[in-house]
Parts: sequence; C-alpha cells; structure tokens
Amino acid sequence: MSYAQASLMPPFMRPPSRVAIVRSGSYDRDLGALLFEALREFDLPVSGKKVLLKPNFVEPDPEGVINTHPAVVGAAREAFLRLGAQSVRVAEGPAHERDTEGIVETIRLRDFLGPLRDVFVDLNLDEVHAVNLRTRASKLKQIYLPRTALEADYIVSLPKLKTHHWAGVTLSLKNMFGIVPGCCYGWPKNVLHWAGISPSILDINSTVRPDFAIVDGIIGMEGNGPIQGSPKPSGVLILGDDPVAVDATGARVMGLAPERIDYLAKAGVLLGHLRPEKIRQLGESVASVRTPFAVLPTFQKLVAANGK
Amino acid sequence: MTSGPLRGSYCQEFLITNQNTDGGWGYHPASPSAVETTAWGLAALISSRPAPPPAEVCARARDWLLQAQRTDGSWPPFPGLPQGCWATSVASQALHLQGGAQHAVERGLHWLLQAWPAEGTVWQRLRQALFPSHVVGQDPSLRGWNWTPGTASWVEPTAHALLFLRSLPPPMLPPQAAKRRQLAERMLFDRMCPGGGWNSGNPLVYGVAGVPRLGPTAWALLALRGYAERAEIQRSLGWLEGAYHTIHGPASLALAHRCMTAYGRRVPPLAPALDELYSRNRFFENVLTIAWVMLALNEEGSGAAPAAGEAASR
Repeated sequence: MSYAQASLMPPFMRPPSRVAIVRSGSYDRDLGALLFEALREFDLPVSGKKVLLKPNFVEPDPEGVINTHPAVVGAAREAFLRLGAQSVRVAEGPAHERDTEGIVETIRLRDFLGPLRDVFVDLNLDEVHAVNLRTRASKLKQIYLPRTALEADYIVSLPKLKTHHWAGVTLSLKNMFGIVPGCCYGWPKNVLHWAGISPSILDINSTVRPDFAIVDGIIGMEGNGPIQGSPKPSGVLILGDDPVAVDATGARVMGLAPERIDYLAKAGVLLGHLRPEKIRQLGESVASVRTPFAVLPTFQKLVAANGK
Repeated sequence: MTSGPLRGSYCQEFLITNQNTDGGWGYHPASPSAVETTAWGLAALISSRPAPPPAEVCARARDWLLQAQRTDGSWPPFPGLPQGCWATSVASQALHLQGGAQHAVERGLHWLLQAWPAEGTVWQRLRQALFPSHVVGQDPSLRGWNWTPGTASWVEPTAHALLFLRSLPPPMLPPQAAKRRQLAERMLFDRMCPGGGWNSGNPLVYGVAGVPRLGPTAWALLALRGYAERAEIQRSLGWLEGAYHTIHGPASLALAHRCMTAYGRRVPPLAPALDELYSRNRFFENVLTIAWVMLALNEEGSGAAPAAGEAASR
C-alpha cells in the first residue's frame, strides 16, 4: 500500500500473504501474458488506479544482469494496464548514476515501453515533499520523498534477484532506496548508509510500503552483487502482495535463510510475513526452483542449513 | 553545425522560456526552483556566445540564488531544506561568474572551507585506527567534500568544490584553502579506479576493482586539470576516450565532451550526436541536462573550452 495507506501490524494480526513463483527460462517469452495470468490470481484492487512500477535500474548495463530487465518492466506495465489500471508509470532514482536517461537508453527501455516521456519518471529529480517516517529504526525521522511516489495509488516494487555486498540481498524492500531523491541527498544517497542500511530500509518501507512486488529472477546475480557479481540464471519470477513475504521467498530460492538477513528479519516483525507457514504459496514450490547463490565470505552465515 | 535543434541558441531559448517567475529553475519546466539547477542555468547563460542572454534573466537568477542562501553561507538543495549541501559549490561559482555578489560568494567559500566530511571526525578516525576496514580500499585520512552534511567524501562534490576554489582569484582565498585543496586533490587520486577513471567514490570493494563511470570521471578530470601530465590523468583520459562512443545519455555526453575538449583531445562534433539523443526523449526536458549541453556547445564553439567558472586567474 502506498504512502497514505501504509500500515504496520504484527504478524498475528496480519492475514496470510500470497506469493507466486512462475517459471520463465528467458526474457524472450510472452512475459506480459505470463504476468497477467499470474496477477489475475491475486484479484488486485488496481482498476482505475494510478500504478507506479519501481524497477531497479543501477548502471548502464546492456547485458541485463545488473538491472531489472526491461522486458519484465514492459510486461508488468502491460499486465497492470490489462487489469484496468488508469495509468502505469515507471519510476526510478538510480543510486550512483546521475545520467538516468543514459541508463534507460543503454538498457533499451524504450523498446519495451514505447516512448518514455509520458511513462518514465526520474525520481532523483522529481518534486519533493518532507515526510515523517512512520518508524524510528534509523535516526532519520524525516525524509524528503518524490511527489510521484507519494501520489501513486498503488506501488509495485520490481527488483532483480541479487546478492548485495552490504545488505546480503537486494530485493523488493532494498529496491525502495531508489525512491529517495538524489536531488536532495546526492549520488549515492549516502545519508542512508550513515543512518544504517538495514534501519533505513525498514523506515522507508514502513512509510512507503510497496503494495505488490515482482522479482526478476530470470537471470539474477550472485557473489559480489549488486553490480559486480556474476549472472545467475534462476528462471523464475517471484510475485506477491506482501514485499516481506516475496523477499523471504526470494531469499529461500537463493538458498539463503531470510531470518538471518538483518533487515528482513526485522521487517518480519511489523511489515509483513517472513515465516513460510504464513505465506500461501502459489505456482511453483520454493524447493522445485531453489538455485543456491554464491555469496561473499562475509555473508556465508546467511546460507540456509542443508540448502533449505 | 547541423540542421538539428541542438544548438546553443536552442538551449538559451529553453532556459529563458522555462525560468520560473521567482527567477530560478527547477529540474523540469514549471517545477520548483532548485539551487543546483539555477546555478547551472545561470552559468550556462553566462557562457552564451555570440549572443548573450537578456541581462534581466541572469539578474533574476542571481537574485534568486542570493535569497536562497542560508545564514551560515551555504545553500540547501531547495529553499527551506534544513542543511547546506554540495550545491554550495556550484551556487557560489555561478554567482562569482555573474558578479555583483562578492559577499555571498565569500560566505559560501567560508562555509565550504569549514565543512568537513563525516569520516574526518575524531570518533571515525579512532574507529578506523582500531578496526581498519578491509572492505573498501581507500585512505580515509584523505578528505574532500560530501553531498550532504554528516556523510562521507565523494568524487563529484569534491570535484565541484575544487572547481569553485580554482575559479577564485588567489587574493580571495584564505590560507586554509590551499590545504583543503591539496587534501581533496589527493583524495581524488586515491579514489581513482585502478584502471583509470572514477566511479562515485569506491575504487575497490572487497578487493574488486570498481568500474569507472562517465560523470564522475569527467568531473574529477576537470577538477584535476592542473595535473595533466600525471600518468593517472592520462590513463583516465584514455578510459574516457574509449567509453565516449558508448554514451547514450545527453548529460554524460556533454560532460565527457567538455572534459575531452578541456584536455585538448579530439572528439567528434557534439551537435549531431546531441540531435540524435534529443530525438529519443527530448532529454526528458531535464533543465540540468540542457544547461550542461549548452555549456558544452558554447565551449566547443569558442574553441577555448574552459570548465565553467574557471576564471582567467587560474
């Protein structure tokens, strides 16, 4: 749920979450139809709504490994439009690279979305508003956020399935760092690192909690992610109505234990479900698609026991 | 010149047309005025050749910057935000170029020279001495400038501050300026990626060489122009030259072109490439991009190619 509706509640009060795992071995399939069918299972309240897709665009990488693949972004846009959304915009504020247009052109986003001028928003340069954070995990208390994100009716986090050399993994919750505007905090948004990566992830997601998440795991990244890791073909899209549950499922697919990932474990307290018994699994099972990801030695402790 | 739209005159007209009624520019037409955009818009207009913009336009931009300055001499990203930031360098530099705001420039300079990044605190230095980091390969004793207070030094804000310091006539610089400048230049060299070029400021993470990026590389090279003969600079110019033909973004292209021109390297004419890029997304009507493009076009046209704000006193 977006800014105005974000709510915090402990697991015992929260209804079970739904997460679907869909197989797709390549980006050449009709991902729009695949996602549309998968999303229909969720009966999402998006008809007539302004939907905002937040992909993970980091670097001008033409290989499709670092960034959410534009085919997935285009497919998600098509699917939400078919579900009756009034508008579906794509918005991102890359953390390191100021030339956002350079990124979206390098990855050929136009090929999948058509003309970008009325569809894509650079969140780094959007109009900003001061927002009081709903939790106090970090010392930030207040942050400036872009109008486009604050005014969206329905936010979909669209990350890549990747390891992360500071946070362990980067999935739909970490992806929300991209809504923090560079025009206020710079490139990188170093204030989030100094306030603590894990606490900042919690504070941002408690304030602008994604309503839905779709993880591009068709080709993920293992090892020294999120930029310099190795491609990891995993052949899945992971989607669901609870970003914590989606990220927990993504971690399990990677062979990692979500409860050992600091920010995910804490997110399971107020932001969503971490425990498998609280996640209604649709589509493929985790076990059937599990693809253990290599991690840096410092994150070896995150690897799930017996690979489960 | 080509028959396409991307000429200095187009950029000038764009900036004049889209100046907010308060005198500033936002990141996009009709968006709230921002310090960085207004500073770069003003710097770009000042560089106009051969037809200067109406004096009134520049005067209004100058006045907006003056009223946006905080009492401590810094500039925030937007008026009303609680802290000064990297935009102080570019705002001070633009006002210095425009003239008529000597006191504001001095106050900006004073704030910058007092502004230290967070890695320089006693606590941080003690922690580093006791628990040296093996994750990032850089010397934390070398400090430049940060994006926002309370955070670490990064390449681009350090480069902006150095460019501002270099633009000032020596009599304006207090004694500590030389020390800050030297320290920051050493910091930039320390943060260079092993193969040349810069990323935002992490040249090595977990022993893996960082990948250079166009923007930080161009800014760092512009800030280090006094060291053109050093091997690191030549290596970085070589990286930039090799990457030049892969550029897909107008902001990066303008910066890279300015940088290559400043070092006397041969680069293809700018306008045809810009025309092609403009036809894709009209630069998303990004005012900052238009300002940087205008600076690059004007410098290319003049053949002189100084970085904006570099006064003859260099």
